[in-house]
Amino acid sequence: MKLKHTLFFLLPFIAAFYGCDMDKDISIDLPSYNPQLVVEGYLEPGKPFRIAVQESASYFDAPTPPLVPDAEVVITHNGRRIDLTYKPRLDNRTGFLYTHSSEEIMNGKPGDIYGLEVTDGKGRKVTGFTTILPSVPIDTVEWRFNDEDEALLLTSFQDDANTENYYRYMTHRDSLTHDSDREFFSSDKLNNGNVITFGSNYRYERGSNLIVTLFNIEKQYYDFLSSSDNAKDSNGNPFAQPSRIRSSVQGGLGIFTNLAYVRKTIVIK
Amino acid sequence: MRFYHLYSLFFLLLFTVPALAQNFQVRGSVRDANNGEPLIGATVAVPEIGLGTSTNEEGFYTLSLPEGEYTLQASYIGYSSFSRSTRVTGGAQQRINFTLDPAETELKEVQIEANSLRQKLNDTRMSVESLSSREAKLLPALFGEVDLVKTLQLKPGVQSGGEGTSGMYVRGGGPDQNLVLVDDAVIYNPSHLFGFFSVFNPDAVKSVDLYKGGFPAQYGGRLSSVLDVKLNEGNNERIGATGGIGLIASRLTVDGPIVKDKVNFIVSARRTYVDVFTRQINRLSEGKPDYDPIPDYYFYDLNGKLTYKVGKNDELTLSGYLGRDIFGFNDDRFKFDFNWGNTMGTLRWRHKFNNSLYATTSLYTTGYRYSINNAIDVFSAKLTSAVQDYTFKTDFDLFVKGGHSIKFGAMATRHHFTIGRLNFETGDSTQSISTGTNLAGTEFGVYASDDYQVSAQLSLNYGLRFSGFNSGGKTYTALEPRAAAKYNLSESTSLKASFASMKQYVHLVSNSGASLPTDIWYPSTEGVEPQRSQQVAVGFNKLFGRGKYMFTNEVYYKWMTNQLDFRDGANLFVNDNLQDEFLFGIGKSYGNEIYLEKIKGKTTGWLGYTLSWTYRKFDSENDLDDINEGRWFPTRYDRRHDISLVVLHQLNKRLSVTGAFVFGTGNAYSIPVARFVFQDVEGEDPSVIPIYEDRNSFRLAPYHRLDLSAVLKLKPKRGESDLTFSVYNVYNRRNPYFVYFEQVRDEERRETLGFQAKQVALFPLVPSITYNFRFK
Repeated sequence: MKLKHTLFFLLPFIAAFYGCDMDKDISIDLPSYNPQLVVEGYLEPGKPFRIAVQESASYFDAPTPPLVPDAEVVITHNGRRIDLTYKPRLDNRTGFLYTHSSEEIMNGKPGDIYGLEVTDGKGRKVTGFTTILPSVPIDTVEWRFNDEDEALLLTSFQDDANTENYYRYMTHRDSLTHDSDREFFSSDKLNNGNVITFGSNYRYERGSNLIVTLFNIEKQYYDFLSSSDNAKDSNGNPFAQPSRIRSSVQGGLGIFTNLAYVRKTIVIK
Repeated sequence: MRFYHLYSLFFLLLFTVPALAQNFQVRGSVRDANNGEPLIGATVAVPEIGLGTSTNEEGFYTLSLPEGEYTLQASYIGYSSFSRSTRVTGGAQQRINFTLDPAETELKEVQIEANSLRQKLNDTRMSVESLSSREAKLLPALFGEVDLVKTLQLKPGVQSGGEGTSGMYVRGGGPDQNLVLVDDAVIYNPSHLFGFFSVFNPDAVKSVDLYKGGFPAQYGGRLSSVLDVKLNEGNNERIGATGGIGLIASRLTVDGPIVKDKVNFIVSARRTYVDVFTRQINRLSEGKPDYDPIPDYYFYDLNGKLTYKVGKNDELTLSGYLGRDIFGFNDDRFKFDFNWGNTMGTLRWRHKFNNSLYATTSLYTTGYRYSINNAIDVFSAKLTSAVQDYTFKTDFDLFVKGGHSIKFGAMATRHHFTIGRLNFETGDSTQSISTGTNLAGTEFGVYASDDYQVSAQLSLNYGLRFSGFNSGGKTYTALEPRAAAKYNLSESTSLKASFASMKQYVHLVSNSGASLPTDIWYPSTEGVEPQRSQQVAVGFNKLFGRGKYMFTNEVYYKWMTNQLDFRDGANLFVNDNLQDEFLFGIGKSYGNEIYLEKIKGKTTGWLGYTLSWTYRKFDSENDLDDINEGRWFPTRYDRRHDISLVVLHQLNKRLSVTGAFVFGTGNAYSIPVARFVFQDVEGEDPSVIPIYEDRNSFRLAPYHRLDLSAVLKLKPKRGESDLTFSVYNVYNRRNPYFVYFEQVRDEERRETLGFQAKQVALFPLVPSITYNFRFK
């Protein structure tokens, strides 16, 4: 439960103190911290290999993530080693800042395994693997209006009963250049093999232009996302226990996975 | 082998019976002169030889005295004491009954007789805090809501979980390790609204005993404390009403005889009414753009008790409790209903076989349940967890010549657990999910103990409890030895020592460190072994200032095994394999509790100081699951220093003032030491992910607070009434509730400028006023 949710429950009582300034800035001396390598890489069929390598930093250090120019990044696949070159660039379309890339296009098929090796001058080494997943088709996207002419959105798809699946679901208004309108991830533990429907509350108007994306994700990606969410929640929720990040890579932090998704654009009418 | 130990205990008890000392018995009862109710825990003392005892649940006492002339003094908090001289001889057994009048002053609550200090000095029991509603009502209270548990938090060795909460952390134990009994029945979640209020309506409660250690053998099932709450029985003389109107809640109690001296009843109700105001605010703001309606929230408690004196030797009692918290949000788009609470019902039969043997037999059912209902359009979801108990319990009190007060008895409980029951469906039945686990278990306990007054100086209390639990074909059993001793070095000085071994078969699944309504209880199973604790304590008591003051110092050491915690990111709500998320570890707690109290005169009160350490260690087979990499870490409520000063002063017959000051080392807290930037995929903004390392390695700033209250007696034409003014946090200290790190952003340029640590406080200065009344 996030802080705002907690406060929501306490609202009737906190309302009494509305206007009292109940939080203040404090200074904290943090213990010394040994930075770790942080990698982030999403392989996508038809797209070049691009990996971001940075370092974690003590919490009150400068906000710019420290880059690691002497890091060497290699993608492995079927015994081949693809060297990625250090050339930090911002992908203007996706907003992804990558540090290492190759012109080679990834064209793996579902079931193919790709490896990642990152080493640097300090002797740090990060490794990881990802298995290419198939995308899962969206069967229907539908909407329903209430009396006030507001619509909810329902996205349905068929879960594969033979595999353990994890999904990430997003809806965006108008374009992907800004944060999603709604995003969550889920396993199929409760509804394995069934039609799964992800919904929203009544939040859309007639004429809303929506982009719906359904990712079929790896367990390690799901673990990373959920542990990152828990860690974020712990910072600001007095009832939460601190949570460790479950990275998909060994020797450092971060995520190395592949993206298999289906995207649909609809207009509510 | 284990049965052998049990039998040997019984054998020992029987063996000691004929070992007569040259003592003779005096026995009798202590009752309220106005309504005839037995006074539980009243003191009957013999000042000449520094001996004393307290009355049992029926108001009876037994003293074993050598031949001679004595003065017997009976006293009880809030009542005038009564003395009687008697000569103890070897002839017929003597009976001396006392009826005590409530103290006659206008502010009789302040009248606390010093004899209870002498009784404390001479009591074999140690590590016990006793409290009456009358005491609690004099202390300042948050929002004016008198709370017995919060008053107990002012005693050494008892800590609160956080600002304003009524959770109890006793000698390093968690809030789930407290055995909370209301008229003998277990209450699973004794709090309302995230623990900000306890479930005990002060008008319904007669007395509260909190055992922090040295647990008598009749108690079992939890590791760290026993909170034994006895409810009022009702006036058997005439109909009366008691109540109060406060800032956030009102309460009303009606009691009286149905058939005079035969059947009497008491009914108490309490309800908060913040929702009445928030609904009004919502109505006035309806239609305003950007207005988010405030959700409805209220809680209520209902207590009832019916006592039927069947004959001279039998009494039947039917008591019940129902408490609910209701949180709701309902509009055209979204329906959300969240309710939780306890329900309890007890039927109890007390029987007196003869002057030496009493029995109390109870049948009770108790349960805790929460339910979250959510509906939007055709979709509806309901999440429920619950525990329901059915218990049979019988306890015997046997007074045997030679200074033996023997207790023995047995209990059996059938537990039913509903764990994370989720039902999700669509109105057109195209989709439906139903998940959850039902578990059951049977718990039992058999015990015997002897409170043996060996001599005027030495008394012993030794006992053994044999307990067990069966669930899913797996049975656990345990022997739980208990022992306590008291030795009077002089008339005003005593030494005490105790040992207690405890076992806990049901576990609270909660990783919040707070008392949340979403608590799930889970039984011991094949893979979940019972929790165990062992505690030793030694104490020193000194009475001085002509019996007005008592100084107590207790040192304790407690170690615990099979402590429960959870994997990082554990899913505790909807998970059919919940026990896969559990981690098992060990714990230890040790400390020194110093207590100085004065309970006679116009100025009374106490000063408590606790120095303590509390740690846990979770070192599992899978290193990835270890907490704090398998090293010891302090619990959140590990508090090195804890000071409380309470002063009650009676200014005149109509006005009394009270001040309470508390100081505590800041809670141990985990903060992220580092961070990294997670860019995420197209369509998601980057975010900062905090990195946590050592568990609870940071300390919040110290907690301190002063509360003041004044009770002004009014002079109504009928009955009694008063106005209680209370100010919580007088000097408006912003005590830290939690700390978080915030990004300092330039939103226009979508840029992070830096990071800032923020400290959040919960309650500023909170004044309140309560009107209390009483008609008899």
